[in-house]
Amino acid sequence: MNTAISISGLKALLPFLIMTAAAMVVMLGIAFRRDHRFTVLLTLAGLALGGGSLVFTPFAPDRYVTTLVLVDAFAGYYLALLFAAAFAVVCLSYSYLEIQGGHREEYYLLVLLAVLGAAVLAAATHFASFFLGIEILSVSLYGLTAYQRHRDQSVEAGVKYLILAAVSSAFILFGMALVYAEVGSMEFARIAIRAGAAGGALLGTGLVLIIVGLGFKLAVVPFHLWTPDVYEGAPAPVTAFIATVSKGAVFALVLRFFGNMDIRVGGALFLIFTIIAVASMFFGNLLALMQQNVKRVLAYSSISHIGYLLVTLLAAGPLRLNASAFYLAAYFVTTLGVFGVVTVLSTRDRDADKLDDYRGLAWRRPWLAGVFTAMLLSLAGIPLTAGFIAKFYLVAAGIGSALWLLVIVLIVNSAIGLFYYLRIIGAVYSMDGPPGPSMPISLSGSAALGGLTLALLWLGIYPGPFLALIGSLMQTAH
Amino acid sequence: MIHQIIFLYFATVILVSALLMITRRNPIHSVLFMLLLFFHIAGLFVLLNAEFLAAVQLIVYAGAILILYLFVVMLLNVDQERQSVRANRFWPWVAAFGVLIAGEILLLISRSTFPGDAGKTMATPGAGVMELGQALYTQYLVPFEIASVILLVGLIGAVMLAKKAVKE
Amino acid sequence: MLKYALIPLLPFAGFLIAGLFGKYLKEKAAWFPIAGVVGAFLLSFSAFLDVLGGTVIDENLYSWISIGSFSVNVGIQIDQLTAVMLMVVTTLSSLIHIYSVGYMHGDKGYPRFFAYLALFTFFMLVLVMANNFLVMFVGWEGVGLCSYLLIGFWYEKKSASDAGVKAFVVNRVGDFGFVLAVLLIIATFGTLDFTEVFAAVNTPVADVTYSLFGGEIAVVTLIALLLFLGATGKSAQLPLYVWLPDAMEGPTPVSALIHAATMVTAGVFMVARCAPIFSLSEVAMNTVAIVGALTAVFAATIGLVQNDIKRVIAYSTISQLGYMFLGLGVGAFSAGIFHLTTHAFFKGLLFLASGSVIHALSGEQDMRKMGALKSKIKITHAVFFIGSLALAGIFPFAGFFSKDEILWSAYNSSDLGRVLWVLGVAGAFMTAFYSFRLIYLTFWGKSRVDHEVAHHVHESPKVMTVPLMILAFFSITIGLIGMPGALIPHANWFGNFLAPLFPHAEHAAAESHGLERMLMVFSVLVALAGIRMAYSFYVKSTAIPGKIVEKFQGTYNLLLNKYKVDEIYNYIFVDGLVHKLAKVLHSIGDVKIIDGFINGLAAAIGNTSVQGKKFQTGYVQQYAFAMGAGMVVLVGLYYVLK
Repeated sequence: MNTAISISGLKALLPFLIMTAAAMVVMLGIAFRRDHRFTVLLTLAGLALGGGSLVFTPFAPDRYVTTLVLVDAFAGYYLALLFAAAFAVVCLSYSYLEIQGGHREEYYLLVLLAVLGAAVLAAATHFASFFLGIEILSVSLYGLTAYQRHRDQSVEAGVKYLILAAVSSAFILFGMALVYAEVGSMEFARIAIRAGAAGGALLGTGLVLIIVGLGFKLAVVPFHLWTPDVYEGAPAPVTAFIATVSKGAVFALVLRFFGNMDIRVGGALFLIFTIIAVASMFFGNLLALMQQNVKRVLAYSSISHIGYLLVTLLAAGPLRLNASAFYLAAYFVTTLGVFGVVTVLSTRDRDADKLDDYRGLAWRRPWLAGVFTAMLLSLAGIPLTAGFIAKFYLVAAGIGSALWLLVIVLIVNSAIGLFYYLRIIGAVYSMDGPPGPSMPISLSGSAALGGLTLALLWLGIYPGPFLALIGSLMQTAH
Repeated sequence: MIHQIIFLYFATVILVSALLMITRRNPIHSVLFMLLLFFHIAGLFVLLNAEFLAAVQLIVYAGAILILYLFVVMLLNVDQERQSVRANRFWPWVAAFGVLIAGEILLLISRSTFPGDAGKTMATPGAGVMELGQALYTQYLVPFEIASVILLVGLIGAVMLAKKAVKE
Repeated sequence: MLKYALIPLLPFAGFLIAGLFGKYLKEKAAWFPIAGVVGAFLLSFSAFLDVLGGTVIDENLYSWISIGSFSVNVGIQIDQLTAVMLMVVTTLSSLIHIYSVGYMHGDKGYPRFFAYLALFTFFMLVLVMANNFLVMFVGWEGVGLCSYLLIGFWYEKKSASDAGVKAFVVNRVGDFGFVLAVLLIIATFGTLDFTEVFAAVNTPVADVTYSLFGGEIAVVTLIALLLFLGATGKSAQLPLYVWLPDAMEGPTPVSALIHAATMVTAGVFMVARCAPIFSLSEVAMNTVAIVGALTAVFAATIGLVQNDIKRVIAYSTISQLGYMFLGLGVGAFSAGIFHLTTHAFFKGLLFLASGSVIHALSGEQDMRKMGALKSKIKITHAVFFIGSLALAGIFPFAGFFSKDEILWSAYNSSDLGRVLWVLGVAGAFMTAFYSFRLIYLTFWGKSRVDHEVAHHVHESPKVMTVPLMILAFFSITIGLIGMPGALIPHANWFGNFLAPLFPHAEHAAAESHGLERMLMVFSVLVALAGIRMAYSFYVKSTAIPGKIVEKFQGTYNLLLNKYKVDEIYNYIFVDGLVHKLAKVLHSIGDVKIIDGFINGLAAAIGNTSVQGKKFQTGYVQQYAFAMGAGMVVLVGLYYVLK
């Protein structure tokens, strides 16, 4: 393993370098020309360049850049996913911030840096890069969550996220220290060898503490309490960002870190993950049933979705990486779409998070209502949407490993989940909505939503090519 | 032998000052005990031949962070803080929580075997700084650069939150 | 045969146009779904002729999901069973679409209604044309969703949206079984393709047993039972029938199409489709037969005393579905499907005719406020009478042939079958009684119509009566395609048509023809007795029912309250389980729960005041504490397990 960075190593780091450079350019851009559209275009260009550079990045199964970052096909897939999601978020943010007024440009700077943090996470193979990635992501999110300083809720959400994320970082750090004390290395590969049945108490405790910290980021039970408050308080596009980019990157890391360990052998970790998954599914869905606020419903639904996703971590065999890759892609598209609709309906004074905001939407804006319905049905896992294929894939991976308990819990929960999604859909198609002035939707917003809807249907009706792509990428990853 | 005595001294002071820090009513006293705590932790680092860490401990924690804390505490109304009730109705839960954690830590210590050479990796006195520097600029160059981004993010976030709202 | 992929797609196109442009098209929106469905009917007819000519289609359109070696295709299969279903679905759907033009005229949700109806037709066609379990599941879920939307169509009525939710919940239970069955099929056979699965059920691959609740159960039996659980949900059988009567809150054309003719028969269709699986398990077959027979009688007893015109027909639907399952359960698959076919026509007719009655009476559904309508709405009365004769099973109306084939098959199958035959005949008696009770209360006797309403009584427009007459024609004649061998040898065209799929259909040996004829006469006599009794109760001496009610007050109330099953379910599941659970979660989970949903308080409580307070109370510490507590528990768990 080489310790210095070679030229080819630099080439592999290209997406990261471009992200950093983009942040610099945007920062200087703001200094010279404070213009919302200009900043957005720079940001989008940066994200597009970063995504485009993936084509030239030499992915290889052993493309370690030092021991800290591994740029293989697995990382490449998640980088692409993260960049694409950030691209959509920026498009939505433009239409959201355009009506908000005030200084809006720094927002995009924070988004770019958060994406950098997420990208580092997706490629991390070492505690150092792991922790730095988490911190960049979190610190950017503090700022983004509290971006609307004039709203109490937004500031409150930011403060809550700051404090709790700091607590979770403390757990992670202490966990890392314990692991290091036993293994004497911070590289994932070496830790994975020692984990499992032969691991001692130090290593085991350390891993549990890391699970706690990561559980916070993923918002799984019992570390989920922040989720509804932050989802509700943060500006809608930021919520979309937290739900997709942040959680997706952390889950990629979880797959990389725990995926290499034989957690089935140890027993204890396997059971802990099972408990977390089952509890997340039930808590998320049952509590979502009792919400009236759409953003809170989506917060709880995201808790349960991560619970479903954990099934892939517990499944054995090569399928699980494919299943989680597809599930995350579908989840990204769907979540961005749902929050996209929330975003474009939000006004200057408040976000569109009451059920009443959606009452009769179908008669005011049939197309937008159609998009919203499709997205909610996908979250519910109804056939012909991406969510159905994703869930089917998950379940198939689950029964492939005979995880019948988890699979049955998952199915029961999907049934419960359908309820609250249908409740929202019912409101959308009811006849007594407020007449409400029809505010035009910005071009960037409709473009993002249109693209997401097409992706949703494509993944739901004709997912073959995409599944094949994932299959070939993940094959080289392991 | 002398090593152990010094270690015992540092360890005792660390425990006592930590305990005092969280039990004092006057926040200024608490901060001062924290300062004591940081100094003695630095002492432990010296004992491990990690002079660089000891220096960083003093400069960053005792120097920068603690001063910041002190400023914040000075802004509080100390008298009022002293009167406010600290324990609320959740205290039995919190106490139980503390006992459980302590139990688990004891269990952890009793169950694990610590590698004998854990404290001796930086055996050569004075070599710590150089080794650290070399590692930082070769193997850990990427995280080193990334860490600088964290500072940038913090900066932007702080500026953004603190600046005045623009008038339209 | 790619053109047949258009059969579901045409209604779908109609749905898209009506749904997205309904705002602008107003009442013109109806023509697109109608065109789509009629187009689907024409194509179905062509497909039917193809199958008649011996061409069975089983084609994959493209690969949908492929996971490793396991793959699922989107494909269509048009065999004899599908062809029959296609004809039933598209015919009924076309007629009901047309009828709705008159029925829904002036409703503010007019375009939405047609959009939903077309979408429903699309999913139903997907369901019957699927060539594997997953595509069938797509249709299965889709029709359930549309049914939910259409039941709650007049969601301003609280009862309507409640009924929608109830249908939804109950069907979830059934769907759970269906999904588990599909997963077991994947785990056992590694494929979902009908042809491949059915070919593999007889091979050693299927020799797997699971230990469940302390007993051993063969995988085939388990799959069959789980599939049947799905069928009981969709087809409203015991114990999951409770949603169907409430579903009558939807518009009447919906009741006719979804909750009588097509969707509720999806369970019957699915069991018939999976006949190769069911036939291998005696336990499953007997379960199907017993549940079917019990439901047939149980629902009929409730139907005896109901006063809402649509509810009577709803209970009769549940009861008739029971007969279909009875037929399937005793191995007479083609008899079950035959009854499905005839039932679709005469029950669709009854519902649409009752819609015509309701239309005439400005929305009145209570039979106690009807009477003496036969002279005022003659066409409706005539077709209603025909439908009721068919339902009662009077020769030579459609219901006679199909019901009799089922009863005879039951009698002829085993000792258990004879017991079920007795139940079936008892049910037939009650069926005749309540369907003519309905006729006499509604159309005969003295008028009890409100004065106000009586002025407006009018016959429905042509766009409604013509579909009624077409359905009435079929209700008389459709039975002839399944002429039993006992009457005219080898004339059972329907049985012969399905014979390639269900080879056991021709079981009637010539020597038992005499017995069969005797039983036929007997069951017709029983039905006539039921009609006669209804006549004397509700036309001649109207005092008798009151006296009987007085004498058997308890029984009457039990029946009127539908055996209190709803209350029992509510007590156990809603009050017991859900409320308790909600309470527990409330106390430990979320501080800001608003109990709107569970308590049925739809009003969203303005929570700004709560928000203000929350900021002050320092929940952050509690959140952090919860995190720490979670950590302590997990670490503790780790020590315990390690």
